[in-house]
Amino acid sequence: MTFARRVVVLVAVAAGLQWACGPFRSRTPQPKGQATVVILPEADGTVGRATVSNPNGSVELSTARASTRVVPGVAPEAVTIMSEEEVMRRFGAAIAAQPPAPAHFTLYFEFDSDELTAESQRLVSQVQDSVKLYPAPQVAVVGHTDTTGSATANIGLGLRRAEVVRMRLIEAGVDRSAIVVTSHGEATLLVPTADNVNEPRNRRVDITVR
Amino acid sequence: MKARQHWLVAIGLVLLAAPAFAQQSSPAGRIKVVSGSAFIVRSGGTIPAEVGQTVFESDSLRTGDDGRLGITLDDDTRLSLGPSSEVRLNSFRYAPAQGSVGLAMSFLRGIAVYVSGQIAKLAPDSVRLETPSAIVGVRGTSLALHVVPE
Repeated sequence: MTFARRVVVLVAVAAGLQWACGPFRSRTPQPKGQATVVILPEADGTVGRATVSNPNGSVELSTARASTRVVPGVAPEAVTIMSEEEVMRRFGAAIAAQPPAPAHFTLYFEFDSDELTAESQRLVSQVQDSVKLYPAPQVAVVGHTDTTGSATANIGLGLRRAEVVRMRLIEAGVDRSAIVVTSHGEATLLVPTADNVNEPRNRRVDITVR
Repeated sequence: MKARQHWLVAIGLVLLAAPAFAQQSSPAGRIKVVSGSAFIVRSGGTIPAEVGQTVFESDSLRTGDDGRLGITLDDDTRLSLGPSSEVRLNSFRYAPAQGSVGLAMSFLRGIAVYVSGQIAKLAPDSVRLETPSAIVGVRGTSLALHVVPE
């Protein structure tokens, strides 16, 4: 075989291989209703847990980028780990559209009072700085009390505390239309206690900026 | 008309009005990120999505082939869609002081990322993520999903 002919044969073989292998994958029709589920690590590096199930079976995802595929009427496939590159290639567009993670702040109050502790007064400007980071920001202000006094009175006290924080935030420059104020009274304690317990950590206002 | 009849008429009117109130869906979150063609599908109509719009329970989110969309729900749950994607928000309840929370979404097609919020923390079993082929249950988790439409 001459050199030229050898080259022609090699090119033909290569082209044939490429034809056979290359487009093959993309021509395989993806089954209707097929779902691919991948668990992603949290911002702090930890990984949660998810269960993917249907009437035919169930698998658990609990390590970074653990992934399964499932088609209707068949049990989910065995778990595999998807590479970081593959995650970005397939899900990069959705990851890029993720809104910023909400931020949480807790301000504390003096006993039986709507007066912020000195330390918490200083936090107000931090909240205001944080609000600037969010598109169409929302600031949820939720007042809480300890279990001293009646549940009804504590709804009122929680609301007064939340109102104090609302006024401080507006003074600091937060747009008043972004703020929503509510009170849980003594319904959602940070530190569970019996009734009529004076617990400073329960006398608080939780702020979520999202 | 006697007093009793007045009462019956009043009760009747309340019963007639009740379903109308029940159908009004409640706010669930807000649109935070939009690029390209992105829409809210609400009671059969399609509304172009804009940053700052309120998302309601039973809305669907839909993107065109150049679209992206990101929302944050009132419990801090975040959901974002890539191009040619659709997710329906079936139900959303977030009233922790009354002990009532719940979230259900259907991933209908395309790609999406779900990042769990307070509901998954308070009552993980009340979060239900549906795809055409399986249900996903979560324990405080971020997930990426890809669904081939049925």
